[in-house]
Amino acid sequence: MASVQISLPLPVLPEGWSCEKDFKAIGHLSQTNDRNIEPVGPHFLAHARRKRHRRTFSEDDR
Amino acid sequence: MSAGNDPAQRVAIGISFGNSYSSIAFTSGEGKAEVIANEDGDRQIPSILSYVEGEELHGGQAKGQLIRNSKNTVAYFRDFLGQEFKNIDPTPCHQSAHPIQNKSSIAFQIRDTEAEDQNTVSVSEITTRHLKRLRNSASDYLGKTVNAAVVTVPTNFSNTQKSALNKAAKDAGIEVLQFINEPVAAVLAYDARPQAQLADKIVVVADLGGTRSDIAVIASRGGIYTILATVHDYEVSGIQLDQVLMDYFAKEFIKKHKSGGDPRENDRSLAKLKLESEAVKKSLSIGTTANFSVESLAGGIDFTATINRTRYELLASKHFAAFTRLVAHAVEKAQLDPLDVTEIILAGGNSNSPKIASTITNAFPGATVVLAPSTSPTAINPSELSVRGAAIQASLIQEFELEDIEQSTHPMVTVTPHLSHAVGVLCISGDETSGVFHPIVDAETPLPVRRTALITTPREGGNVLIKLAEGARHIKVTKPEPKPKKEKEEKDDDDDDDEDSDEDESEEGEELREKTWKVSNVLSEAALRGLKKGSKVEVQINISADLNANCIFREVGGKGGVRGLLSGSKVTQNGSA
Ligand SMILES: Nc1ncnc2c1ncn2[C@@H]1O[C@H](COP(=O)(O)OP(=O)(O)OP(=O)(O)O)[C@@H](O)[C@H]1O
Ligand SMILES: [Mg+2]
Repeated sequence: MASVQISLPLPVLPEGWSCEKDFKAIGHLSQTNDRNIEPVGPHFLAHARRKRHRRTFSEDDR
Repeated sequence: MSAGNDPAQRVAIGISFGNSYSSIAFTSGEGKAEVIANEDGDRQIPSILSYVEGEELHGGQAKGQLIRNSKNTVAYFRDFLGQEFKNIDPTPCHQSAHPIQNKSSIAFQIRDTEAEDQNTVSVSEITTRHLKRLRNSASDYLGKTVNAAVVTVPTNFSNTQKSALNKAAKDAGIEVLQFINEPVAAVLAYDARPQAQLADKIVVVADLGGTRSDIAVIASRGGIYTILATVHDYEVSGIQLDQVLMDYFAKEFIKKHKSGGDPRENDRSLAKLKLESEAVKKSLSIGTTANFSVESLAGGIDFTATINRTRYELLASKHFAAFTRLVAHAVEKAQLDPLDVTEIILAGGNSNSPKIASTITNAFPGATVVLAPSTSPTAINPSELSVRGAAIQASLIQEFELEDIEQSTHPMVTVTPHLSHAVGVLCISGDETSGVFHPIVDAETPLPVRRTALITTPREGGNVLIKLAEGARHIKVTKPEPKPKKEKEEKDDDDDDDEDSDEDESEEGEELREKTWKVSNVLSEAALRGLKKGSKVEVQINISADLNANCIFREVGGKGGVRGLLSGSKVTQNGSA
């Protein structure tokens, strides 16, 4: 997929913001819903291949 | 299931098999789907068989027999496959062979040999004969024997119906590699075009066929499709539109020729009226006027008349409105707003009618793209969407072992966790109440997923805050300034007329509806320091099926970057949809 282009600027880092390795986890992703994806099209086939061979996106890229 | 045929020996096509029409298509070496015309030159082949003195007629030729030989002509049978007699609606078959109960299934009683006696021919056998004819046409065209196919079915086709169709196809010498849903085939037909760009979007496929309407709301995420809601209706149909014209021409005929009688009251006249009305309807999709011309319509009187498109659109407007309501209902059922709909693909033969496209266009926001012949010069013929999708899918899987295909289509592979919220970034201000949320991964995206965003930085560069959050889509409604009201009460009791209520709204001024975002859950903060003036920041989010997210933040063209890990909530998953 092409990158999402966001033209609104990121905010300036507030004075005094600091954190180890410059990353701070705050919350968790919300629970998901199980749904059926349609077994159709080239991108599904790539998904099925990854799932059946337990491969990640970057392993798939190679 | 069985091992199937040797993939190396396969010649696979796409088949769309409707109650009214069927089509066949193949994918060329260059990956382009092409719809095949049969011996009569038809790409939309009527799903009809007729028997004359033991000779089998098919398609358009069989359709012609509805006038003289309706009892031995079988039509509108697809939806009877795998059904019990008590559950079917035989109405579409009133002017052809009637379905009867045959043990636990359905059959037709027809004279299909030279002998005088009628035979009981099961719907399965009829389907086999129909598919054989399609297969032969495709084989003749391709110059090699077709032996496999991807076949499209409506989204509410049950497993019993699919296995009945599978058996009928097998008996016709066709190995069904896969059944795919008609609306998904339509989306694939569009996505497979060379100019198509992969995007996350909500697509509605609105199919107005001959005997039914089917609507599907589909989340398309990086080329993977999830059906969010479907609506089916057997009242809103092409047959209804034909009926509008039949009534119109019948009345014109009676006006002119009082002695001729009502052509709707005699079987043969009715059949002629029906065939010609459908032809007129099709002509009105292209031309602004059409001629109706039937020899000996009723009482031995020839009849010709003309109708213009505007008149037809007026007469049929309530059916167009009903179809539009179905589309709106499906969007509601998916718990979405019309503003969420990126695209509406108009499918099914009747979607060639310009008024259907314009009625739907008017009912949706300006930003929603309606893909139909009259609204988009690059639209694909709505009658061909299913079969094109099927042919593309056939080319994708024809080299796989049947067992591999079955494994890939198994719920173990297809049931997938989907994000319940969009995940994105806060722009301009790091404050959730004043910052603007911009999604990077949309809700209803199946996992795992990887998405990248490129984000602008403050004019002077420097240090930035990257705050990831979950966002909930919110429809902001701005009411217009209230005008002084008068005479309002008098109008209120008359709201069954759509046009009237529309006018009421515009009198009050229309409310403004916009799609906005509310931050529902802050996920993380990250800092990138010392950015160059005018540089961009790349954010990559990689979310696994168990909801762990790997995030990478870096300056485009810069060195290093920041990495972070988010973990999913430990709560159990929601039920399926
Ligand atoms: N060019 C056209 N303009 C208007 N209507 C058309 C046109 N071509 C076909 N139709 C109508 O479309 C309908 C057939 O649509 P389609 O080919 O999608 O049928 P189907 O899938 O077999 O439908 P179903 O299973 O609902 O009966 C018929 O009512 C036919 O009259
Ligand atoms: Mg159909």
